[in-house]
Amino acid sequence: MPKLKIEDLEKIREQVKRTTALREGSGFRAKVNVHMGTCGIAAGARTIMNAFIKELETRDVHDVLLTNSGCAGLCSQEPMVTIEIAGQAPVKYVNLTEKKAQEIFEKHVLGGTIVKEYALGIGSEKTDY
Amino acid sequence: MVNLTIDGKQIQVEESATILQAAKKAEAKIPTLCYHPVVEPYAACRVCMVEVSLKGKADLVTSCNTKVQEGMDVQTNSERALRARRLNVEMLLARAPAAEPLRQIAKELGIKKTRFAVKDPEEKCILCGLCVRACEQIVGASAISFIERGTERKVSTPFGEPSEACIGCTACAYFCPTGAITCEDKYGRKVIHEEMYLGPTTAIRVPSRQAVPMVPFIDKEACIHFKTGECKICAKVCDREAVNYEMDDTLRDLEVGSIILASGFKPFDARRIPAYGYGRFPNIITAMEFERLVNASGPTGGKVLMANGEEPKAVGIIHCVGSRDENYNAYCSRVCCMYSLKFAHLLGEKTKATIYDFYVDMRCFGKGYEEFYHRLLKEGTKFIRGRVSEINDLALTEKEEGKLIIRVEDTLIGTVRRIPVDMAILAVGLEPSVDHNQLAKKFNISCSQDTFFLERHPKLAPVSSFTDGIFLAGTCQGPKDIPDTVAQAGAAVSEALALADAGKVELEPITAEIDDELCSGCQICVGLCPFTSITYDKDKGISVINDALCKGCGTCVAACPSGASQQKHFRDAQIFAEIEGILLV
Amino acid sequence: MAEKAKDKTYRLHLMVCAGTGCVSNHSYEIKEALEKEIKKHGLENEVTVVPTGCNGFCERGPILVVQPGNIFYQQLAVKDVPHLVEEHFLKGRLVSKFMYTPPEEKKPVPVLNDIPFFKKQVLIALRNRGLIDPEKIDESIARDGYKALVKALTEMTPDKIITEITLSGLRGRGGAGFPTGLKWQLVRNAASSNGGGKYIVCNGDEGDPGAFMDRSILEADPHAVIEGMVIGAKAIGATAGFVYVRNEYPLAVQRLSIALDQARDYGLLGSDILGTGFDFDIQIKRGAGAFVCGEETALMASIEGRLGEPRPRPPYPAQSGLWGKPTCINNVETWANVPMIINRGAKWYAGIGTETSKGTKVFSLVGKINNTGLVEVPMGISLREIIYDIGGGIPGGKAFKAVQTGGPSGGCIPREKIDLPIDYESLTEAGSMMGSGGMVIMDQDTCMVDIARYFLSFTHEESCGKCTPCREGTKAMLDILTRITAGKGTEEDIGLLQDLALSIKDSALCGLGKTAPNPVLTTLRYFRDEYEAHIRTKKCPAHVCRQLNIYTINPETCVKVGRGCDVCRRNCASDAITGQKNEAHVIDRAKCIKCGVCFDVCNFGAVKVD
Repeated sequence: MPKLKIEDLEKIREQVKRTTALREGSGFRAKVNVHMGTCGIAAGARTIMNAFIKELETRDVHDVLLTNSGCAGLCSQEPMVTIEIAGQAPVKYVNLTEKKAQEIFEKHVLGGTIVKEYALGIGSEKTDY
Repeated sequence: MVNLTIDGKQIQVEESATILQAAKKAEAKIPTLCYHPVVEPYAACRVCMVEVSLKGKADLVTSCNTKVQEGMDVQTNSERALRARRLNVEMLLARAPAAEPLRQIAKELGIKKTRFAVKDPEEKCILCGLCVRACEQIVGASAISFIERGTERKVSTPFGEPSEACIGCTACAYFCPTGAITCEDKYGRKVIHEEMYLGPTTAIRVPSRQAVPMVPFIDKEACIHFKTGECKICAKVCDREAVNYEMDDTLRDLEVGSIILASGFKPFDARRIPAYGYGRFPNIITAMEFERLVNASGPTGGKVLMANGEEPKAVGIIHCVGSRDENYNAYCSRVCCMYSLKFAHLLGEKTKATIYDFYVDMRCFGKGYEEFYHRLLKEGTKFIRGRVSEINDLALTEKEEGKLIIRVEDTLIGTVRRIPVDMAILAVGLEPSVDHNQLAKKFNISCSQDTFFLERHPKLAPVSSFTDGIFLAGTCQGPKDIPDTVAQAGAAVSEALALADAGKVELEPITAEIDDELCSGCQICVGLCPFTSITYDKDKGISVINDALCKGCGTCVAACPSGASQQKHFRDAQIFAEIEGILLV
Repeated sequence: MAEKAKDKTYRLHLMVCAGTGCVSNHSYEIKEALEKEIKKHGLENEVTVVPTGCNGFCERGPILVVQPGNIFYQQLAVKDVPHLVEEHFLKGRLVSKFMYTPPEEKKPVPVLNDIPFFKKQVLIALRNRGLIDPEKIDESIARDGYKALVKALTEMTPDKIITEITLSGLRGRGGAGFPTGLKWQLVRNAASSNGGGKYIVCNGDEGDPGAFMDRSILEADPHAVIEGMVIGAKAIGATAGFVYVRNEYPLAVQRLSIALDQARDYGLLGSDILGTGFDFDIQIKRGAGAFVCGEETALMASIEGRLGEPRPRPPYPAQSGLWGKPTCINNVETWANVPMIINRGAKWYAGIGTETSKGTKVFSLVGKINNTGLVEVPMGISLREIIYDIGGGIPGGKAFKAVQTGGPSGGCIPREKIDLPIDYESLTEAGSMMGSGGMVIMDQDTCMVDIARYFLSFTHEESCGKCTPCREGTKAMLDILTRITAGKGTEEDIGLLQDLALSIKDSALCGLGKTAPNPVLTTLRYFRDEYEAHIRTKKCPAHVCRQLNIYTINPETCVKVGRGCDVCRRNCASDAITGQKNEAHVIDRAKCIKCGVCFDVCNFGAVKVD
């Protein structure tokens, strides 16, 4: 392996930080919570989860926490996600597809505008985290 | 210089001094155990602790290794120092109750009995480490060190086995203050301290107690200084500053007028006669070894002892070992009979042993020799005429158990006898010295059939060689005893002196000469000349004869392909003329 | 893995503790089981398993921390893994039955930071514990590893580095608390004799019974130590360094070797570090397990290949150390602190701790305490906070009696001093010492004479035997203490013991010997009554010294409650108990060998000890 220069060290730091940052547990701008109860998984929550992971990767975003939780109780409208921008009330989206998820990620998570047509409601209960 | 106070006394000492050294100057007595001036301080026994106040801070320190500092106030006997010293001595006393210097210090401190558990009342080792430090720092051998830890600590060689690193200098025993390390005493002397052939030796020694000159030398092979550059203890202790490490072996070229060869002999190697068992049985020794054994400065102090340290009850002396024997040397070595008789006499004097002397012919040719033989006969030596065939340890009877059996044909009574003895001495013969052949080549000396140097004439020129100015003396010319050797040496010296006194040498009139014009420079003659008198002149491209060396043997004349080399007075032309004259008549 | 981790984003990171404590509790098996289950559920692209260094809460191992979220699972077994994976990682439901419930509470605490054991800790030396895989240099770099090195090599002069360390107030974490900056200055100023060269040494010969902070740091974050040493080398002008580790720490040695290789590959060690022209390399030297080799002069002798025994100081290692060259020896924890000080500045570091003792200290909490483990706390924290808040108090609701700090040569601090702030000076004042940071908690059932005897037996065993006071003195003190605990002590023994202890403290050669009497001196100081009880009334107040105990059976309890169950008689090794079922049992005092088995086996409390 070629010896590192100071710039290389900085590069490694930035690169690895992206993948390990979520171990720090704080300092996230937004949280995406995919509901993955049995009902959610059956309705395709895994596809939604993968879509978000892909978004995070391709767009090189690392200040967004992606997590999962159990059934939200509204099994008929799965797959569901709850998006919580730091300091704002959480928003629940229902009946998602991969495409919808991408749109929500772009507009809401990155852009800060709620995608009203997919949203179930604003407010409601907070998650444990 | 540093100013300090010791027990209230103001003194000034050098900056590099330790408190202990300063205390000595202030005449304050501090007891020590692990301290010795010539090795590094170890600060292990903690007996030399003193209380030192400096800048308002008081502390206990070991005086042996703590350097003085300006303004120090040292209390050698403060309450605190004494408490530590007393307890340390008392605890050491429980470890090594038999250590004399420790008991002495304890007595001075008023300790009558230790309150701590005594493990071994005979223990002497106080674990001061002086032996370990001496072995490492003075000797440079590091053959011993501490093993184990805590109360199990002790001094040992690696794995407790005899150490290869030990050079047997006994420095450890010398440095041991309590006598916990002793050298094994055998024969009343320290075995570890022996001369060559008999065990390890010190690097600095006198070759033997009878050496001439009687001065010590440094054996570079064994000397630590020449290996590591360390030690130099001999220079430190020599008051006369006589030790010189720079002195080196040197080669010197000397121009001399004559040379006397006196290269001596070597004893016959008795191993060459396997039947005599030398090298297989410990108590079969050669004459040279017996000489060392009976010598007052020898390993046993002159006592005749066997390998097990006991005195022999029967000793056999075997004559003609390697002499008068067609398988080895056909000649008589001339000295063995007489030294064998001397051995028999010494054995009779020093032991109560029965002495057997196995001879072939008793050759007592010198003045008073025959009388000595008769004396031995009267002293009771049992002379058995006959060549010993074998020495072994195969006992046939109970009487022979554990003995060496000498098998011999007694030619006087005509039977084969088995004589059991405890020790057998082989009277080995004389052979030319090891480098005899090289010498012969170098000096162009011929050798006689017995391989000793050949004199020019057995009767008329017994000390001369065939080369002028080279003389022979002693056993290099043939076996002889001391009186003969001394006589021959005197003769050789006289011959050399006669030459020197004359201040000139007579040359052979008939020598060879090389005609410059004819010589082609082929150098055939250079290699052929037995007297190395011809050299090749590179500049001229011809061979040249040194007249002083040429003996006129004519070899070069015969060999010269171009006829350039001619014998003076015997030139080809002259010889042809002579032949012609004869034929004409 | 390293390459994969670089370009792969995972949703969940499962931080499996792979410190020695958890590894011996099968944490590697749990890691494998986790990986297997994750694969089974097809989660391998979402969830990754990361082995980390020790979390410190060893009592509760094996430990798994789930990130993000800091969810703390403890005392896991391989059989728990399928359930855990399905519930939490697949369905997203936290599994409370694997969570930790503090002794005082009823509800489990899911989040690590909310657990009292972790809440009060301030992590500097242990900053990366549980957060990185110690075998991956990239993860260390991501957590600002080697950032301080860049700063020190490019922006700072050696003097500037030393000034920074001096201002931070960092003191040696190995025990004596010598100011680190001053030590570096001394080594920097020392003229190097015979051909130049200076050395850096990291002392990882942690030998105190029950102490394991150095091991934990080397296992969890070896790069922190390496980085600290390179910075130190730059500051003092050293070209070579040694890490002296006990061979009994195989995992630490392994992780450190991996870390050294990785650092060398990256050009963070060796010649021309990071292209700055600075050369420095580190070798590992493994110790053979002699306690005394933790003493710096003995340690150096051991590195040089000589007999590991101390030598008198002066000369100090700073003047003449390894092979006679100026040498800077610091403890593992000290080195691990250095990068943080360079990174965040002396001011930040000096802001933590007390007037004289700055920063944090790692302690290993062992003995009669609920939360055994490793804790890093700011200096000045009180013993009470450590024992009750972090340590969770004494098990079984028993009373706290004393705490022994500083390893076998430390002293015992009694209950009355529980509000003592922990720093170098106050511990010394109390007759103990900081030492390397061992803390042995003792409850009411501990006999202080027996404790002193125990620690003396350790120092006696580990004394190198070079100097008289330590070799013979520890033996003499041990003999006396053994005598006292066997009921054969005399009135004079206390005086002799005190004299011996003071004299040994005064006159021993090295730190081991000088501090060996501390357990005796402190117990004599704070628990003299226990000694007197042993000698005068031949009683052990804590009933620990069995030779002094008298066992009797209360006939009423035996018959009425236990119905003469006969268990004691059947277990008695010396046939000293007589009696039949439903009858009262009796102990024959003449036959009783005081082994205490009857006391241990009686389920009805009928056997009394006096």
